[in-house]
Amino acid sequence: MDIQALRLQIEKIDTLPTVPGVLKKLLKVIENPKVSLNEIGSFITSDPVLTSRVLKLVNSPVYGFPGRISSVSQALILLGMNVVRGLLLGVSVFEVMQKSMIGLWEHSIGTAITARIIAQQKGIPEPEEVSVAALLHDIGKVVLSLKFPDEYAGVVVDAEKEGIFIFEAEKKHFSVNHAEAGSWIAQKWNFPRSLVEVIEYHHKPNLSKTMLVQTSIVHLADILVRARGFGFAGDDFVPALNAGAWQILNISEAELSGIVLEMDSALSHADDFFLGD
Amino acid sequence: MTERLFGNKHKVIIFSSLNLALDYIYNSIPDLLIVDFIQGNPAAFTVVSDLKADSIFGQVSIVGLFGDDQEMPDNSLLPIDDFIRYPAEEEEVLSRICICLARADRVVETNPLTRLPGNITILKQVQSRIESGVIFAMAWVDIDYFKPFNDKYGFARGDEVLKMLGRLVLNTVRQKQPQGSFIGHIGGDDFVFIVNHDVMEEVSQDLIDNFSNIVPTFYDSEDRAKGCIESVDREGAHRTFPVMGLSVGITHNSKRSFKHYGEMAEVASEMKKFAKMCGGGCSKTDQRVV
Repeated sequence: MDIQALRLQIEKIDTLPTVPGVLKKLLKVIENPKVSLNEIGSFITSDPVLTSRVLKLVNSPVYGFPGRISSVSQALILLGMNVVRGLLLGVSVFEVMQKSMIGLWEHSIGTAITARIIAQQKGIPEPEEVSVAALLHDIGKVVLSLKFPDEYAGVVVDAEKEGIFIFEAEKKHFSVNHAEAGSWIAQKWNFPRSLVEVIEYHHKPNLSKTMLVQTSIVHLADILVRARGFGFAGDDFVPALNAGAWQILNISEAELSGIVLEMDSALSHADDFFLGD
Repeated sequence: MTERLFGNKHKVIIFSSLNLALDYIYNSIPDLLIVDFIQGNPAAFTVVSDLKADSIFGQVSIVGLFGDDQEMPDNSLLPIDDFIRYPAEEEEVLSRICICLARADRVVETNPLTRLPGNITILKQVQSRIESGVIFAMAWVDIDYFKPFNDKYGFARGDEVLKMLGRLVLNTVRQKQPQGSFIGHIGGDDFVFIVNHDVMEEVSQDLIDNFSNIVPTFYDSEDRAKGCIESVDREGAHRTFPVMGLSVGITHNSKRSFKHYGEMAEVASEMKKFAKMCGGGCSKTDQRVV
């Protein structure tokens, strides 16, 4: 399939399904009549698909300010409780569930948590924005495996057999990797430019034009979470850290160990999200 | 039949000729017109099209009356709001006309940008509360430094901010007080809302905070980083302006009484100017006892 045709296929995707554990919890949350927007918000930000749904809706032309909102809490205020409830009621789960999906979900949450820690450490003005971008950075993997499940299974087998990274195997099969595929859907859904850029360049952050620091943070968080062994991003090995990103972030060894310590404690609390009831 | 069905709630006038009807319509705008097309009078078509094309009379709901097997003309040729087939069940006529009147009430006056109710509805809402004697608070909201933002980024981006603010006022107010509250859009960057007196200050503060939190995303990233924009003031001089915020003027009838909307709106607007004088990004409540 040529790239243009592939892009058209991907842009046809209207909604993404989530993992079964999330749906079970979700129903509990929205059936509670006393639930607050804050509680709903923290639930939504623990799932890349729910987050993408909320951002897609608030950035749709219907509301009249497309491409502006990249924060879930802001989106919830602008959409209002009734709309959010309705939106969440329509969430479905993957029909054919691959075990690796749950690993990907955990990886995404781990990256979001870690990216927020780094952003705060570096004094970035909007840490929530970075954490949302981190949560969504691998959305392209969800998109590709939803639209082309058989082919994507081939990608996974190939990567393992040839000892290459998933994003390299994706490129061989689809001629693009999940970063590009993710940026297509993010653009189609009118996500703010800043989010699109982080998704697109999280494997080569030095190419980011306007979100150099944020993309580098997500890149580093991605690698730290893989190295920590939290969740499963699809690879058995940890990819190399981009030298440009490391330079841009300019993190001292002491800072890094502080980040890792904080990340460790935050992730140990997040551990039971998918396993616990 | 119409007279029998609606005579006690509405004033029903029946005209035998178009000219007599038009003369009346132009002098006192009715809520609803029922036009008989069964005779197929071509002049009736022209009259309806002309009325609908007019900015004032276009608001009047028009129900067409057609024969049982008469062909319906295309709506672009005959812009009516609803139709009734003759002969008709009384019950159906009744509900169609009620729906038509209610719909007209709803849509007459929404701001095209935010779809929030406009001035006439705001006046009615405030006036009916004043007359019923309930204690309530009314807030007048406007954006600080909206004009320089509009001048710098253009009205399309300004409109985005207004649409965002419309959503924000609606949801912030409804979240605190789902029942009995009201939100209206006066026009431009002026909004009004009504809530119970005891939650007013909290709602206003939430609104101000939410707005300050969200509005930076409407600026270009360089300006956002700088925290200000360069634009021209009302005198045409170049200067820098801070990021937009909200000023909220609040008035209530717990310590003083108001006779009509105008009086209350004036105080709220005064309090809003007072909030602006204090640097904006805050609310000021009228404390005077009269």
